[in-house]
Amino acid sequence: MTVLGVVVQVAAVLIGGAYLLAVADRLAGGGSANVLAALAHPIERASFLLLQPVTTTERPDLPAWILAPSLLAGLAAVGAVPVPIGGPSAAGDISAGLVLFGAAMLIVLVAVFIFGWAPNSAMPMIGGYRFAAMVLSIGIPFSLVVLTTAIPAESLSVGVIVESQSNLWYIVVQPLGFVIYLVTAAAIAFWGPFDLPEGADLAGGIAAEAAGPRLAMWRLAQAALMVTLSLMGAAVFLGGYHGPVLPGWGWTLLKTALVLLVLASTGRTIARMRVQRLVWFGWVVLLPLALVDVFVSGWIAL
Amino acid sequence: MNPGALSYVLVSVFGVGAVVSGWLVFRTDSMLRAAYWLMVSFVAVGAMLVVLDAQFLGLILILMMSGEMTIMAIFMIMFMMNPAGLNPMVMVHQNRTAIAAGVGSFLVLAWVGLVAEFPDRPAPIDDPTAELGEELLGRSMLVFESAGVALLAVMIGAIALAAKRGRFGDADAGSVEPAIDIESSVDPAVEAVADADHADDADDHGAGHGMGHGT
Repeated sequence: MTVLGVVVQVAAVLIGGAYLLAVADRLAGGGSANVLAALAHPIERASFLLLQPVTTTERPDLPAWILAPSLLAGLAAVGAVPVPIGGPSAAGDISAGLVLFGAAMLIVLVAVFIFGWAPNSAMPMIGGYRFAAMVLSIGIPFSLVVLTTAIPAESLSVGVIVESQSNLWYIVVQPLGFVIYLVTAAAIAFWGPFDLPEGADLAGGIAAEAAGPRLAMWRLAQAALMVTLSLMGAAVFLGGYHGPVLPGWGWTLLKTALVLLVLASTGRTIARMRVQRLVWFGWVVLLPLALVDVFVSGWIAL
Repeated sequence: MNPGALSYVLVSVFGVGAVVSGWLVFRTDSMLRAAYWLMVSFVAVGAMLVVLDAQFLGLILILMMSGEMTIMAIFMIMFMMNPAGLNPMVMVHQNRTAIAAGVGSFLVLAWVGLVAEFPDRPAPIDDPTAELGEELLGRSMLVFESAGVALLAVMIGAIALAAKRGRFGDADAGSVEPAIDIESSVDPAVEAVADADHADDADDHGAGHGMGHGT
């Protein structure tokens, strides 16, 4: 596959997945069980935001504020590149693909922090600091459980990791790792119970001052990030393109959609934690569990 | 364009990018901008490593620096008299020493670059990440295992610190300000010295401004 092919494929998966996420979130708790209305909702919302006038604040860092949503979307795209979608021998597969994904997901912190900092306004800035506290607490468990899938496959290449799951998906060996992955992935995408940086107690937090196309881009980038995290989760824990009857890309997309819907359902069902408690939860609960996961999968691999 | 020429061009582009963003670190007037320009510089260096077939090293450099720079920015903002990091402030101090150190280290590194014998016939490598793994867990195993155990101990120590009930309450209760009666117990003489220190700080700051604008 050519480079252009990879770009088109990633863009299609991210935009399609973002649409699915918006529809699912609307159906899950938007006050309407009407499927047609839910299907139209993302388009209505996007049209509204794109036509809305852009507001500004007093002396913002305008270039940073405008570029941060694009940085977030770009990071989502970079993280999705190493995942093989249709089968082995994807052009985006590089020997350290998992590290590329991890680096992109940690730079999300920079994009969100800048988006909160740039408007020169109190609530967005506090939201940015909240996100820094959150990600620094759950970043290590996230990286550990992602890297743990490389132990049995003996490679950091996502293609090799998926290929080595032809007999047994890693969710069977590492159920704990998959659960930690889901929790930390939702936190990195500041989604659902982890939307503290955008919390109502901060009047909208990082997005409090954003409006118009800038906010539309920010929402699209956040949804694309969720899709990338689901795509990687489906690849390294659920066997990626492996499965009977359907073609490889069908299985990849089906599993990605499944993980995405599980994550989406948490948005309206699981209660939030205070940020202090969340930081405690990251260091005291998730990190030891992630270390247990590393030891267990290392022991199994030996 | 053959792959060799392409990687030559890419390395040059990223190298120039690293130098320019490194220069911008000192041209901005805000801690946060400086920290993130430094991150851009490191990302460019990481990209150079990736182009030079050291994918793992380059990507791990980018991974480490992205998290690190935010921590650094938060600490710098905490220690500066600049609550949000958005207000302008002078970023250069001790100019003569800095110029001397900069020129000196550039000369030393340039000398090393000119004198050192670099291999000119690279060995064929199938999978650079696997080769690096062989190196790390082969000849250098003792060093990296020691570092790994130390890092594991740090993680367990962080868990212990985070889990412990501290002086100011439970770990998950957030920080609570120290009791107010600390103020009243301060000795008047000590307070006077502290005030004098503050005055010195203000003077230094003013001098820094003057130098910054003068150069």
